[in-house]
Amino acid sequence: MVQGITGRAGRTQTRWMLDYGTNIVAGVTPGKSGEVVEGVPVYDTVAEAVQKQQVEASVFFVPPPATKQAAFDNIDAGVKLIVVVTEHVPIQDVMEIREHVNGRPIQVIGPTSPGIITPGEAKIGILPANMFSPGRIGVISRSGTLSYEVSINLAKGGYGQSTVVGIGADPVVFTNMPEILRLFEKDPGTDAVVIVGEVGGIQEEKAAEYIDRWMTKPVVAYIAGINAPAEKRMGHAGAIIQGDGKGTPQSKIAALREVGVDIAEHPSQVVELIRKHLG
Amino acid sequence: MLENNPMRLYEFEGAELFRREGIPIPASALASNPAEAREKAAQVGLPVILKAQVLTGGRYLAGGVHSADNLDQVEEMSRRVFNSRIRGLPVERLMVAHKVDGEREYYLAITPDDYNGYPVAILSAEGGVAINTTARQRPEVLVSHPLSISKGLSLDEALQMSSEVKLSGTEHAEIASVLFKLYQVFRKYDATIAEINPLVRTRDGRFLALDSKVEIDDSSLFRHTDLNLNQQSRMLNPLERKGKEIGVTYVELDGDIAMISSGAGLGMATMDVIGQRGKAANFLETGGGISADLLYKVMDLVMQKPGLKALFINIYGGINPIHEGAQGVARYLKEHDVKIPIVAKALGNHQEETWEIFKAAGIHVVDGVSTEDGIDLLMGLIGK
Repeated sequence: MVQGITGRAGRTQTRWMLDYGTNIVAGVTPGKSGEVVEGVPVYDTVAEAVQKQQVEASVFFVPPPATKQAAFDNIDAGVKLIVVVTEHVPIQDVMEIREHVNGRPIQVIGPTSPGIITPGEAKIGILPANMFSPGRIGVISRSGTLSYEVSINLAKGGYGQSTVVGIGADPVVFTNMPEILRLFEKDPGTDAVVIVGEVGGIQEEKAAEYIDRWMTKPVVAYIAGINAPAEKRMGHAGAIIQGDGKGTPQSKIAALREVGVDIAEHPSQVVELIRKHLG
Repeated sequence: MLENNPMRLYEFEGAELFRREGIPIPASALASNPAEAREKAAQVGLPVILKAQVLTGGRYLAGGVHSADNLDQVEEMSRRVFNSRIRGLPVERLMVAHKVDGEREYYLAITPDDYNGYPVAILSAEGGVAINTTARQRPEVLVSHPLSISKGLSLDEALQMSSEVKLSGTEHAEIASVLFKLYQVFRKYDATIAEINPLVRTRDGRFLALDSKVEIDDSSLFRHTDLNLNQQSRMLNPLERKGKEIGVTYVELDGDIAMISSGAGLGMATMDVIGQRGKAANFLETGGGISADLLYKVMDLVMQKPGLKALFINIYGGINPIHEGAQGVARYLKEHDVKIPIVAKALGNHQEETWEIFKAAGIHVVDGVSTEDGIDLLMGLIGK
């Protein structure tokens, strides 16, 4: 199901997802019920769409002010996988949506996510199809554009991807990195995982803890932002919660190295590191 | 840094939000020149504290905070502050606040725990500039509670926190009440941080917030138009301000290789790769809003920095129609006499179309698929 299917991005991306083989059964835009976009029927509400069609996943192209309500509607309708592509969703709305899931078996990804692709099968989101090819490497990325960069380079080096997940680079995201690591660890189609991280937050530090305790598959990483201008100071409260000195590229690289994760110095170097593990 | 830059408020703006929610603050007024400072000091009552209104922490150590006992002193001190720069920032306004003698200092804050995705309330029975050290060395004076964003911070929970840091008597209830109100500031105005450091108890038993640190989530500004917060005016660098105006993130750097990217992560990676062989002149990322018009304006922006040796364009067609963006770049080059080499790596949807447009405009299009390939080509062109 495509939320915001009648907008420019919604229409274009719906066509590309259909071309790629994604089964799109419904679109939702309030006030546009009865329209058909790229052969997909449009409904006014999520409730109407899930009643008429069997919906398992949903992708958002709605503007930031409308994202919270749309997410609540999808969660309440029991949609199992929700991918929020929308950028600039207010942080407190993200926190409300995350709380609204409240233990239900619903996976929300984003915001500012490029989406999820299982190359050769289907994609949910905006990832450009020609950057990906089928294979056995899992990719988790905070950045959309870098997930494309790393995937096309992997493919060129002979390594296709089992699945690529863009979790989004906002300060608060719906699904943290360790949860995606967990899914790749138990996925029989994945042999190794690439983490694409960046400066800020503690996703990579938490990923390192998870890898140390639970991962048996090899993991390699690239962390963007070594030369980024110094970040705005975290402030006292941030330091009290996260711990002093976390969030820098150096802290992330050290945490990952300590648990045996090889670090690429530039994006395309992940290919050599993967080759080292898989031959 | 690059995607969600919270907007930091001036102390007086934060204090105004405190006042609206009923958090007690000392009598104060703003002045924009020494004569006005004198006048306001007489109104708020001597002695006074003069505080430079600049968007940086550490103002006290940088010479931005002074006390004055009489009006001549007020005028002299404020002249000195107006003529100075505080951590490089010019001083346009002074806050003239009645000086309060505190007997005891507390620290209060509400901020999201980003990783766990919920707000956290923090209360320390000892505040002041050494709060980080206090938190590390004597964790027992400080308590933090995770909160439900839908339920918020109840007065009961605030009282409980007050008990946990062993406050008693009037101070127990008063501090809890301020913490409760601070949560209202956090929630009502989409703050990414609402902090009081210090809150003091005065000799005559009042509780006053002597400083405010409030940052507002800039993604939420669409619902806070009443606050009249002008983001552009806070950016002192003219090129960075221009970037904000056209809707992109531009950060000026001190190198000579200009850069345009279509995402923050890609932009940072590009800077990292440039940094291995040279120095970037800027960071620029467009986000998902590329159009011909936007990239025309972006070209106009990055080319304004003097002394450039080359430009690297690194863009992906995911949600962005890069073939349209390329038209904007081509139009800019047709209308302007650009002498430096331009290298472009453009991949994704509409990549072949984009390459044709770039090539016709005299741009070197990268053959490979990595940013490193692009920088190799670029360094070759400028003989590095």
